Amino acid sequence: MRIGEIIETTSSGFVAESFELNRPPALGSLVLVRLPDETALYGAVTYGQTAGVDPSRRAVRRSTDVVFDGAIYEQHPELEHILRTEFGVALVGFVAAGRLRHHLPARPPPLHFSVQGVSREEVCYFTDGLLYFRLLLIPYGDVPPQQVLAANVRWVYEQRGHDDIWLDTAAREIATLLKNDSAALLTVLYAIDPGDVPMLREQGGVA
Amino acid sequence: MPLKLGLIGPQVDDMAQTIARLSPEHDRFLTEAQDLLRGLNADALREKLRWQQNQQMRLPWLVAMPRGSLSGTVTSPAPPVDFSVVGCDASSIPPDRHSSVRCYVLNVGYAFLTYGRRPSAVLEAQSQLCFRDQDLYVFPDRRDVPIEGALLGARMEVETLRVLQGVMENGARPALILRDGPLILWTLQSESKEVQRALLRDLFGSMDRLREAGVPLAGYISYTNSRDLANSLRVWLCLTQPNKCEHCQSEKRDLCMALAKMHDRELLGFLTEGERSELFGSSSQILEEYGDHRVEFFYLNVGGEIVRVEVPQWVGSDATLLEFVHAAINDQCRRSPCFPPYPPALLEAHEQAVITTVERRLVEEIIDRAVGRQGQRLVRSAKDDSKRRRGV
Amino acid sequence: MSENRLGVVVDGTFNGGLTVRLEPGVSSEQLRIGNFVVVEGQRNRYFSLIADIQLKAADIRLLADPPRDNSPFVARALAGTSTYATAEVKPMLMLEKVSLPQTGVLDKSTLDALFAEGSGPQPVRTIPMHFAELREATELDFATVFGQEGGTNFAMGTPLAMDIPICLRLDRFVERSNGVFGQSGTGKSFLARLVISGIIKTRVAVNLIFDMHDEYSFDKQTEDGRFVKGLRQIFGSQVLIYSLDEEMGRRSGRNVDVTLKIGLNQIEEADIVLLSEELNLRQTAEATIGLLRDAFRERWLLRLLEMTPEELEAFSATSGAHPASVASLQRNLKRLQRQGYIEREQDFSALDDLVQALDRGKHVILQFGRYNSVLDYVLVSNLVTRRVRQRYEERTRRYEETQAASDKPRPLIITIEEAHKFLNPAVARQTTFGIIAREMRKYNVTLLVIDQRPSSIDPEVMSQLGTRVSGKLTEERDIEAVLTGVGNRSALRGALESLDTRQQILIMGHAVPMPIMMRTRPYDEEFYRAMGPQVPGGGVMDLRDLFEEQ
Repeated sequence: MRIGEIIETTSSGFVAESFELNRPPALGSLVLVRLPDETALYGAVTYGQTAGVDPSRRAVRRSTDVVFDGAIYEQHPELEHILRTEFGVALVGFVAAGRLRHHLPARPPPLHFSVQGVSREEVCYFTDGLLYFRLLLIPYGDVPPQQVLAANVRWVYEQRGHDDIWLDTAAREIATLLKNDSAALLTVLYAIDPGDVPMLREQGGVA
Repeated sequence: MPLKLGLIGPQVDDMAQTIARLSPEHDRFLTEAQDLLRGLNADALREKLRWQQNQQMRLPWLVAMPRGSLSGTVTSPAPPVDFSVVGCDASSIPPDRHSSVRCYVLNVGYAFLTYGRRPSAVLEAQSQLCFRDQDLYVFPDRRDVPIEGALLGARMEVETLRVLQGVMENGARPALILRDGPLILWTLQSESKEVQRALLRDLFGSMDRLREAGVPLAGYISYTNSRDLANSLRVWLCLTQPNKCEHCQSEKRDLCMALAKMHDRELLGFLTEGERSELFGSSSQILEEYGDHRVEFFYLNVGGEIVRVEVPQWVGSDATLLEFVHAAINDQCRRSPCFPPYPPALLEAHEQAVITTVERRLVEEIIDRAVGRQGQRLVRSAKDDSKRRRGV
Repeated sequence: MSENRLGVVVDGTFNGGLTVRLEPGVSSEQLRIGNFVVVEGQRNRYFSLIADIQLKAADIRLLADPPRDNSPFVARALAGTSTYATAEVKPMLMLEKVSLPQTGVLDKSTLDALFAEGSGPQPVRTIPMHFAELREATELDFATVFGQEGGTNFAMGTPLAMDIPICLRLDRFVERSNGVFGQSGTGKSFLARLVISGIIKTRVAVNLIFDMHDEYSFDKQTEDGRFVKGLRQIFGSQVLIYSLDEEMGRRSGRNVDVTLKIGLNQIEEADIVLLSEELNLRQTAEATIGLLRDAFRERWLLRLLEMTPEELEAFSATSGAHPASVASLQRNLKRLQRQGYIEREQDFSALDDLVQALDRGKHVILQFGRYNSVLDYVLVSNLVTRRVRQRYEERTRRYEETQAASDKPRPLIITIEEAHKFLNPAVARQTTFGIIAREMRKYNVTLLVIDQRPSSIDPEVMSQLGTRVSGKLTEERDIEAVLTGVGNRSALRGALESLDTRQQILIMGHAVPMPIMMRTRPYDEEFYRAMGPQVPGGGVMDLRDLFEEQ
């Protein structure tokens, strides 16, 4: 399930163009890039944006009283070609030669390589250990890293079938990592608290 | 940088004030002209215009020959459920006069937009490096008349239609090919007939193909400064010879003088949104070479401005095609997010066609290197060199 | 890592104690001040008490702006990470680990071997390194420190949350005077009964109990309506009942063995001075008594009480005493005459017999019956004790000379209630009890003082009390008083304040290796059975049995 192609790449992460306009992978979700030597690089989505392919062309208002939202794309079929959706991914680990590591790989992924979604089994395997949280707290893009971390925790929680034990462990790990910044810590904890909010469970906690 | 803006500023103010002062007068004449337009008998005007054309002296102005009435309007029909509009545009990297290698680049851009039940879009460009004799000269056998300047412009038109013709073989119908700018290649007017015919031959070849395929072609001129119709009115008013105005004794002299500054788009200001005028023929000299593809035009209110649309007469005389052109252009302008509106097909075609400065330099470099690899030295002129470096 | 791990040592000094950071899963509410806990150092095991508990936060901004809405999820995440608790832990004893058996098998022989080698718990000489583990004490820990039941190890109760016995070492208990304290309602008399029962059963000493409220001898109804057995019912002929109240002795089922009378001739000057307040004496009383003594020697009281007004005058004239003082003194002292147990003259044989009974291993309880005013209690107790002590002094001196085993006096423990009456700073020097307390065990006599106002007891006396058994105390000065001369006061202060009003005590001092909080052993059928064969009937004994050698 290829979902995008790398268009910028650095040691700490990459930017990919999404194959589906206006639908980048969910914030905080895990994606992977498979290298020729079978190494799988894992990353977490840190932001998404949609804009003109040509950076000098800014979007203009196209809706009318009758035509708005999805209908705009039918009315202006050229939009699919002059807009593009990008998403940023922070690298959080890799699996090489059967071993899972939660640190940055030696080299950035190659330009133009495909970005794929991650299966539930792969998610569970990768997130059994929580060391990768430290990498997520490094800013990559404009979205504050606490929001990215919170999004990732909600997404993984849902992928793991609402694993409450994992969630509690994750919360405590985050409390340890952010113990010197209570404002940031509470931001994250409030954002991942399953609480008694049924809406959160139905949506799977992902916006 | 050495432009002294400080001096120009006050002069701009002066101009603005003059315009404002003269504006009420202008409006009065405009109303008078529109009344004239409405009251004028089209047959009578056609008579007089033909008579004028048959005179020895050519008319110094372009005039509009009404096909129907002068002030008639046509409301827009609805477009078909499924249809396509193909906007096209072209740009070039002209031959480098400061280089020893002669070649040029053409980039034809088009936007094939399909609407209706299965909306889709194809935005493409076809680029070509022209370096062979047949590209570089109008008469390649004798290496005569290098293609550059206006001739290059004509060459671009030819290339554009050739590309489009290929595109339209996909069979998507009904479809309109929309061109940004006139279909009348008046830039070729000063060339010899031989050159004109040589260049136009391929153009008409493509247009024949399109006609056979049932694909209408139209030129879209935004913010048209044409004064054909105003000039026709002046001819009507003239008692003697046009352009002998210093001796004019006519009581309508003031109106005629006012018409000399009036634009057709003002005259036809009574057109409501979506309405077009009736067809007019153009008196442009180059059209004598156009044959079956002689170009006619009408004015259209697209909502925000009045534009001029030029079509070959095989479109103008085909009611179905003409209706389709009218409806499709209106539909395009309705889809435009700008104000005044501009057909998205043309906008995207332009985006596809445009060659950026960076790209131009890149092409230069590629050419330089390729030539260098073959052992040729590329020599640039001194002037070019000084422009590149711009030292102080 | 053990299952009942509470936290790890993160800071500490030898003098100040250790700071333990509690595990994230451990709530501060799981600990109690005064709890017995164990720190596992690398080389030593430290048996310790919890002295203080504190709350901390990694980022104090969290405290300024705590999380809103009671989300249990957020609280769980923060607990032990951003917010955590520490405990101040005071090591009391340490044990070198090399000497421990490898397995946790608990048996008497292992522990005996341990103590025999002299490698049992030692005073603390060092502290553990960072991250030493703190854990709850196990059965083995309690047994290691407090030993097992048997011999002179008498079970006083169990740990607050466990079911193993904690023992008082009665052999050491009787080496000093001791105290039982607690505010009223904390069951001091039950505690005393437990201890005395233990002493009786283990035969480490003999008891003389001044039973002011008739609590110890026979069945008594408790606050909640139950009936508990008296020492007579439990121990039968081992216990002799003396009484001041003749009538009471005649009531059925409550046999009194001896009715005691006190003669005016037996009352000494010191006894009267001790009762100044009760008798409403003037300040001049002491001086007046002095003059009377000069004149009439031992019969001064008799003569005073028999004097006619003329004789009073005459005496005043001759001795230089103030007539009004003498008259007033006579008036006040006539009260004594009116008491039913007071005779004109008595010899000391009854008291000497009492001492002989003690010598034969009997335990004596002196009941006061209806003569249980403070006046009676203080007068008789002081007087009797003076005589007893005197006899003991003689016996001890003789033993020192002969060194014959048969001459060795049995250690005697005298139990007094309302001890502050005898031992407050004003009179501590004069009462026999004060003297006994200060003498320590010189003449084989020690005290067991029972009181609810330890702050009223002379501090010097208090510091002589080897073992203190305390129920809940709330008055600051009472707590300070109980802790006089005790180390690690801050840890124990908190423990004293935190005791429940019923059934929770703190024992500290000579008879326990380290201070310990516990739930007292219930005084019930099981206890009676544990103390020995039941006494049939209501405690009616054959007199001969009573006076036989034990």
